[in-house]
Parts: sequence; structure tokens; C-alpha cells
Amino acid sequence: MASADGGAYSYSLTVFSPSGKLVQIEHALAAVSQGTTSLGIKASNGIVIATEKKTSSILIDDSMLDKVAVVCPNIGIVYSGMGPDFRVLIAKARKSAQSYWKIYGEYPPTRVLTQEIATVMQQATQSGGVRPYGVSLLVAGWDVNRGPTLYQVDPSGSFWAWKASAIGKNMVNAKTFLEKRYNDDISLEDAIHTALLTLKEGFEGQMTEKTIEIGVITVPSIAELEEGKIGGETGRPKPTFRKLSEEEVRDYLAL
Amino acid sequence: MHHTKPLCPKPPSNASTMASPSIYTSPGFNFTNELRNNFMAEKGLPLPKATSTGTTIVGCLFKDGIILGADTRATEGPIVADKNCEKIHYITESIRCCGAGTAADTEFTTALISSNMELHALSIGRKPRVVTAMTMLKQMLFRNQGRIGAALVLGGVDSTGPHLFTIHPHGSTDKLPYVTMGSGSLAAMAVFESGWQPNMERAAALDLVKAAISAGIFNDLGSGSNIDACIITESQTDMLRNVEMPNPRVQKERGYTFRRGTTAWKTESVRDLVVKEEITFVGGDAMDTT
Amino acid sequence: MSIMELNGGSVVAMVGKDCVAIASDLRLGNQALSVATNFQKIFPVTDRIYLGLPGLATDVTTLRERFRFRVNMYTIKEEREIEPETFAHLVSSTLYEHRFGPYYIEPVMAGLSKTPSGGVKPFIAATDLIGCLNFAKDFVVAGTASTKLYGVAEGLWEPDLEPEDLFETISQTLLNAVDRDAFSGWGCIVHVITKDKVITRTLKGRMD
Repeated sequence: MASADGGAYSYSLTVFSPSGKLVQIEHALAAVSQGTTSLGIKASNGIVIATEKKTSSILIDDSMLDKVAVVCPNIGIVYSGMGPDFRVLIAKARKSAQSYWKIYGEYPPTRVLTQEIATVMQQATQSGGVRPYGVSLLVAGWDVNRGPTLYQVDPSGSFWAWKASAIGKNMVNAKTFLEKRYNDDISLEDAIHTALLTLKEGFEGQMTEKTIEIGVITVPSIAELEEGKIGGETGRPKPTFRKLSEEEVRDYLAL
Repeated sequence: MHHTKPLCPKPPSNASTMASPSIYTSPGFNFTNELRNNFMAEKGLPLPKATSTGTTIVGCLFKDGIILGADTRATEGPIVADKNCEKIHYITESIRCCGAGTAADTEFTTALISSNMELHALSIGRKPRVVTAMTMLKQMLFRNQGRIGAALVLGGVDSTGPHLFTIHPHGSTDKLPYVTMGSGSLAAMAVFESGWQPNMERAAALDLVKAAISAGIFNDLGSGSNIDACIITESQTDMLRNVEMPNPRVQKERGYTFRRGTTAWKTESVRDLVVKEEITFVGGDAMDTT
Repeated sequence: MSIMELNGGSVVAMVGKDCVAIASDLRLGNQALSVATNFQKIFPVTDRIYLGLPGLATDVTTLRERFRFRVNMYTIKEEREIEPETFAHLVSSTLYEHRFGPYYIEPVMAGLSKTPSGGVKPFIAATDLIGCLNFAKDFVVAGTASTKLYGVAEGLWEPDLEPEDLFETISQTLLNAVDRDAFSGWGCIVHVITKDKVITRTLKGRMD
């Protein structure tokens, strides 16, 4: 088990401790739980992912900060933990989505992309000279096969599908809150409100459109799907993931 | 100062790249068949013809933006391989690219640049520019020294206004108010030279583009079938697929269906795709499910 | 003599009403000498996708194995069957990867794709030897008899043929085209793919 200084097994992350733990992974999880809270809720007609955006000083220009990222038109990710690590993972995820598109002429299903990211994160727990990624991710996506799905990926590289989940500083309370609030036929609008209410629990400071980021998956109707791609056969499918603008976030907060 | 030699000078290759799908295909071209193919070429077995787009492709500036135009014929030597193919390729929402030359090359080159432009747009967080696409295309084509047979007309509107380029297979580019390319370029250019004016209205410019493509369709053997057009303005892109169909397939006077049983066949096998389930009770009475 | 004529062979695919058909000849030749009359050029990819590979026989075998591998890996990883459109892109990108040292194959695909509302939609496609996709709405042809097939198919094909009528049309198209092609023939095979079954028939044809 990890002692305060990390113990003898923290020098090489590829060495198991006698109790069967990889101490560096535990430390990575600790880094995640210091990060700002993020959450995701799967609704009957979509998914919402949201996070709080905290700056250490009022002097920081927070308009440049992006915590909810678009990977490809059907997938978006939010994180808790270390921002720089997230940036690297997003760059890899975007590249992976594009190389999938170049082979199959369509964007990857959520599960396949999540697996790709999880593989990258796992490799960092078994390679020499590197440390695990200090982030947990919530991956929200839509695909024809499985519809809307929400996945959580941890620094160890393990991932699960959730109906609703929370990561970061306030995850325990947030999850308890979500467990009380969640039901299977919640609508996307209700889910967005639930997401905001959950974030409000234990939110430090004022919750405004500047301190909140929201991304949503909207499920296309069958008619929209039959319509096919925009711009002819060689065009692109209509995006199903998008980030809400500051105005939209403000409107949701006002309600 | 204590000097240490790096223990691991090169990172393991799998740590720096995303795993699959690249485990199946490495980026770039594969040359494993080259030796064999060269051997066969020496034996006098030349390469079969790839599909090419003889093509008339055009683009012109008008008051509010850019109009691109293309015919829809793909040829394989003297054969019309596709009567209604799409030659106006998607780069981004407000940038499109017409392709002439080796059909596969125009298809994959524009797809690659489109993909790179999307990554670029995501990383810079705003709409990408036409010059960016142009630079990516010319650098890729120049790198391949003309072996990728793509002759392109690139057009679009970005924050700096409308832009129109031609890009040749060796990587040279031009920036002009009206351009034509492909085997029908002379016919189309004749129309532009006599009819194009600065600041044309949308409808007039579209008519001019249609006339230019028509000139290619009716006077150039490499071009034919229908007209595709794409109108790009700052606020909207309208892809007008088959905006005009001057060569419809003639309605047949009679049906040519054969009487069933015309074709003599020797063997038949049917693969049933519906899984049939039959429940057979073995001994005793059926289970009471009430 | 072109490389396509080394072993000979032709494939054609056609769209019908809620069905598709794909057919090929059965000849394997060594230039003008016929070596076999049972050479398979059409392969099932999934229950509802068939792939025809006319061209150099060694590449027929190689590509058949490559696509089998790729489709099996896809099925395992994605936990679903590949759709015809997706498969067509896979074929196309695999061939273009070999842009400067191509396989001497001009693939033809036929299949039924699922629509969002739960129905099926006929799908055919063909590519040239470096993977340029051609999504036709009526028919696609490839191989040494392609020039003849274009002509006959253009004359005989009509829209919305029922499976049995489509069988007659594709069979007559292929039989008559390969009769005028020295490098194709020696028997034919036809697959008609419908929503709930695949009918495969071998045809009686000239053996010269």
C-alpha cells in the first residue's frame, strides 16, 4: 500500500507492490481526485457532460480554457485531473478518429474510440520511462449501432459504460446525488438541469457561464438518419456532439 | 555538473503512437508489390488503366463568394466508367475542391486534406482558411513529384474573404478570379473569357458556370453527363448535385425482361438467412407454463 | 497483353428490387490456355455482402485472405457485422495503400445494407485497381469482358427487377458478354441476395 512518501515501490511504476498494487496508478487517481468535478448523464434522447472550470486567479483569461473537447462530430470528452495530460490524450484521440475515418469512411463508434484511448492510457502503466496519465475521462458519443453511450476511462486504462457518473474532487457526493436523481426516462433537458444541480453541490464560488462548461450529444431522428450525409455521398454526417455556447449555458443557469 | 547518459535514447515506438487502426495499416504507401509488378512490366504486361476523370472543372468568383462547377463523367480509357460521379469534394463546410486526373488520386488526396483540415480546425479552435488547404495540397503533391495525378480547383470562403486556386499535379498553384481545369478546360475557359465580369450576381454567375461546364460536356469527349455546382458564401454552402441533367437516359420503348426460365442452370443452393427454430419435446408432457 | 488477361475472368453486379445479384465466370487461364473451369472469384464476406475479385489469380487469393482477416478483426472489435458501405471503403483504402505497386484486381461488391428504419437497401460498388470507388445505382462490371458487359448490361438492365427476373437479366448479360470474350467463360456462377436468402446457381454456358 502506498505510504506517505510512496514507499519502495514507487520508483518504478512497472513494479507491483507485495499487496498487488501499482502505486503510481494509485497516485494518478489521487491527482484525478484533486481535479475539478466533472460529470455525465445519459438521457433517453441524448447525453450531457459538464464540468466546472476553476481558475487560480482572476487575472487568468478563462476564455482560452477548454475542458470539454470535441474529438470528432459524434464524440466529446470531459476530464478531471491534469490539463496537460488531457491535451495530449485529446490530440491522440482526434488522430485516431481521423485514421479510422480514412479507412472506413465513417467516424468510430464511441466504444471503439474509448477502447483506443484506454489502450494508450494502459500503455503508460506498463512502459519504461513514462508515468501514467493523471486524468479520468468521461467520453460521450453517439453511433448507429449502440446509440448514445457514456464511458468513463481511468488512469489504469480500465473503462466502463455508465448511465450517469462523476469524477474529480466531489465525485463521491456527486454520485450519491446522481443516484438519487437518476431515472431511465429522463429527458436531455432535465438531464442538463440535473447536471447543473449536481455541480452546484460543493461548487466553490459563483456558478456562471464562465465557470461551467457543457457538452451535449443529441440523438438524430430516424428521418434525419434516412436523409443521410450533408453535401452528397461524399459529404459528412451531421454532428451529434456539440459544446454549448456561453449564451446557452447562461440560459440554462437562469432557469 | 554531473553528466548522465540517457538510458533510453529512443522511446519505444508503440508508446508514441495510437494503437490500432494503425496496427493494420501504417501511414503512407505500401510498396511490397513493386518488385513483382516491375518484373511483370518487363515481361511486357503493362499496368491496367486506372479510372480517370477526363473532366471539365471550373470555379469563379462572384459578388458574395465562390461558385465551383464540374461534369460527372469518369472514364477508363475510351470507356465511360461512371456516368454520374461526384467531382466536387468536401474539404470543410465552407471549402470545397474539384478534382481532375486520376480519379483515385483526387478522391484520396482531397479526403486526406479534409481530414487534416478538421484536425487543424479543432486544434486552432476556429474555421480554417482556404490558403491552409491550398498549402497542404501543394506540399503533398510536390512531395510526390507529380506521381499523384491530381489536378485541382480549390475554392472557399474564410475570415479573409473568398479565395479560388488551381493546383497542378506537381504542386504549382495559381490564384485567379475564374479558373478551369481538366480536358474540357479550353472549352470552359472560352465561356469564362467571354462572359465573366467582376461582382456578378449569384444567378448570373451560376448560369455562367453551367454554360462553362456545358461547353465541356458537349465539346470534350472526356467530359459528359450532368452538371454539379457548389455555391459557397460566407454564411452558407449550397451543394447543387446534378443541378442540370442535359443528358438523361432515354426511356426504353419496351421492357427487356426475360421470361423466367430462360437461363438454363445446372446446380442451385440456397443459403437461408432466417434462423428457423423448431421446438421438439423429448418425452413427457410439455412444460406447464400457465 | 495486359496483366488482367493473364488469367482472365469477369464479374458483374446488378441492383434489383430489395435484392442484388453478383455473377462471375469460372475460368482460370494461363494466357490463351484454360487451366481450370471452377475458379472461384466471388466470395461471401458476411451473410449479406459478396465480393467479386476479377484480375490476376495470385492477387485474387491474396486479397481474399486479407479481406477475410480484416473483416474478422472488424467483427470481433466492433462486435457487429460490417455494413456494405463500410466494407466498400475498407476495400478502397486497402487498394489505395498500394497506389504505387497495386494489386491487379478490380473488385466488385454487392450487398444489402440496413436502413435506419429497419429495412434493407440494395448496395453495389466497384473500384479500379487503385481503389477509386464507383457507387452505381444500376450495375457495375469488371474484368476482361468489362467492355462487352457494359454494352449488354446497358441494354438489358431495368429498374426494380424481382429476384427471379434479376437472375435472368444478370445471367443473360454475363453469358452473352463472355461469349464474345476469349479470356472469360467456361461456366458461370450467379448469387442473388435477398432479405432472407441467398440463391446461388451455376449456369450452363459455352465451354470454348
